[in-house]
Amino acid sequence: MTALLKTPSSWPRVLLPAADAGDPTDLDSATRSGAFDALRTAVRAMTPAQVVTAVTDSGMRGRGGAGFPTGAKWRAAASAAGTRKYVVANGYGADPAVQTDRTLLELAPYAVIEGMALAAYAIGAHEGFIAVRADAAETIRRLEAAIGAAEEAGFIGPDVIETGWELRIEVRPVQGAYMLGEETVLLKALEGKRGQPEQRPPHPTESGLFDRPTLVHNVQTLAAIPWIVDRGAAAYAAIGSKASPGTILVQLRGPGGAGIAEVPIGTPLRTLVGLVDGGRRGKEAPERPVKAVLVGGPSGGFLPPDLLDTPYEFDALRAVDAHVGSGSIVVADDRACIVDLARLLTRFCADQACGKTIPCRIGTRRLSEIVDRIAVGTPKPTDADLAADLASDVVGSALCDHERLATLPATSAMRYFRAELDDHLLRSTCPAGVCHPIAVTVAGPT
Amino acid sequence: MSFVPGLGLVRGMALTLRRFFEPKVTNLYPEIPARVPPKFRGRLQLLYDEYGTLKCETCFQCAQACPVECIDMGGVDTKGRFAIHWGPPETYGERREESALRRAGRTVPDPVYEHFHGIDLRAVDDILHEVDHDPKEMLRILAAIQAEYGYVPVAALKRVSQSTGAWYAMLYGTATYYDHLAVGAPRSTEGDADAAYLGALDGSLSGRSASTDSQAAGT
Ligand SMILES: Cc1cc2nc3c(=O)[nH]c(=O)nc-3n(C[C@H](O)[C@H](O)[C@H](O)COP(=O)(O)O)c2cc1C
Ligand code: SF4
Ligand code: FES
Repeated sequence: MTALLKTPSSWPRVLLPAADAGDPTDLDSATRSGAFDALRTAVRAMTPAQVVTAVTDSGMRGRGGAGFPTGAKWRAAASAAGTRKYVVANGYGADPAVQTDRTLLELAPYAVIEGMALAAYAIGAHEGFIAVRADAAETIRRLEAAIGAAEEAGFIGPDVIETGWELRIEVRPVQGAYMLGEETVLLKALEGKRGQPEQRPPHPTESGLFDRPTLVHNVQTLAAIPWIVDRGAAAYAAIGSKASPGTILVQLRGPGGAGIAEVPIGTPLRTLVGLVDGGRRGKEAPERPVKAVLVGGPSGGFLPPDLLDTPYEFDALRAVDAHVGSGSIVVADDRACIVDLARLLTRFCADQACGKTIPCRIGTRRLSEIVDRIAVGTPKPTDADLAADLASDVVGSALCDHERLATLPATSAMRYFRAELDDHLLRSTCPAGVCHPIAVTVAGPT
Repeated sequence: MSFVPGLGLVRGMALTLRRFFEPKVTNLYPEIPARVPPKFRGRLQLLYDEYGTLKCETCFQCAQACPVECIDMGGVDTKGRFAIHWGPPETYGERREESALRRAGRTVPDPVYEHFHGIDLRAVDDILHEVDHDPKEMLRILAAIQAEYGYVPVAALKRVSQSTGAWYAMLYGTATYYDHLAVGAPRSTEGDADAAYLGALDGSLSGRSASTDSQAAGT
């Protein structure tokens, strides 16, 4: 498990329990500190519509990366026709470099289970699935222990808190490509099929798992629901930024360390980068200037240092060609070459695409080839324009968000690091000395 | 026979001389095109996947689409229940593989691939029984098979296809899609895309080119 970073004590904690909380799967100690209080209040004293209203009023937006308003999703799922509905917790954690969702499931399994129960109560579902990576054996073990204990205690199961309402929750280990984390793909996996995205609409809230209304949420979204029901929507709305309140888990990686932190949304990037910079740096790692910050994981965008005041928030990041994505923030110092990094990320995204549609199968592949050409010093004179054209075509014609976002490493590199790109493109040199472009030398007398 | 110097040459020349007076068989292509029967579409052949398993699913799409209706085929559905057919009625009720092969005129085993190996299928049957042969539980079935055999044998996939009604081709697509399942043979640790990506990211951040690692080897 990745280390948790120390954050300022003034930052509120919604998702992660206190560091000394003891065994997270121990139901007794969890209920003593308030687990399942919110569920009890909800099923005894609130109508499902009131729960939906509370979530809507909190202004919460989904933590899966896109930041879709959670309340709107719940309203759609609650009003969808059908007696059989599902709740799916997306704990897949697609980015191999990010452990946030897994860590949350390990440290606060009951919060996720309770959040699922509240969501199921609000939309009228009787079944829930938690999707996790098949190689996360410890996470699966803890989750199964927690579900077993909660069922035994009557918080979920055939008779939830003596109300006669039935709710079954199951863990489903899956493991596949990056885009298996996308919700329509994940639903395909839960149906026992090959993971490929579906056209939307219809959205999963109308026709999802087995063509029934399904609420798919990131585990962080679900884990915050009990807090909201417990302490009220207004308290939650007061945390973080106005446009998207609450806290989010980020996976930071910088020269001074790496780890997971729970941060209020809207915190400037500079502050977040500061958590893994300065202070802890030893002698062996001399001070190096920050060259770029990669925000959003493999399909993230590169931001230059002068954009470090951008708040870490869904819309603000999207406006500067990055995104929250997997919650990863990676600091690249002057040893790294942006073209080389862009090449690596574009290649990874192309490799991980599902192949269902042409922008996915061919568009990402061609983009990766263009960036490859630039990096190895064999570009065609039109390659920069070609890449920009291709990227905008892929964005315009993509079926799922994976292809759309897969263009970000290349387009953000072109937008902010054009000079470095031009060195590769026009002069066949790599200023960072990372790539080995074929330098064109004119033979002369020695 | 005793060795007569020059006899081979004489024999060869004799053949040449005989051919000289026979009617010609070569065409003056392209001036004179060959005469091909109007419905001729080349030789039909059914392909095998890399495990030596017939790819044809008896889906009839080729038979339906064939513009000259030269394909007919018959077989039973994947659960062995209904005899289905396309083409003249004598093809009713045949086992689909035999039928498809016979209809195609010849078997075309690909010498590169070995036929998949038989395994003891009792464990597969138990697993299937447990989930009531429900194709919706496919991932659970496949994961249980993986746990039982250490990989997902092609013979097991065939059995699962037969007894759940899921088409083998779809099932093959599903099983090979997921990284926690190893189809055909136990997985080797190399070729793990996530690990390769993480290694390359480390390298690239510290100033070593990602181009020298295996990620880029395919270019
Ligand atoms: C390529 C791709 C990968 C994704 N991976 C994940 C993931 O690993 N975990 C996750 O929770 N959401 C992931 N998402 C987002 C989901 O599609 C979906 O929006 C999310 O689970 C909805 O939950 P939310 O409403 O809580 O944000 C991914 C999306 C895309 C396009
Ligand atoms: S019947 Fe067999 S060969 Fe013909 S299209 Fe279907 S799968 Fe292919
Ligand atoms: S990754 Fe294939 S359609 Fe999106």
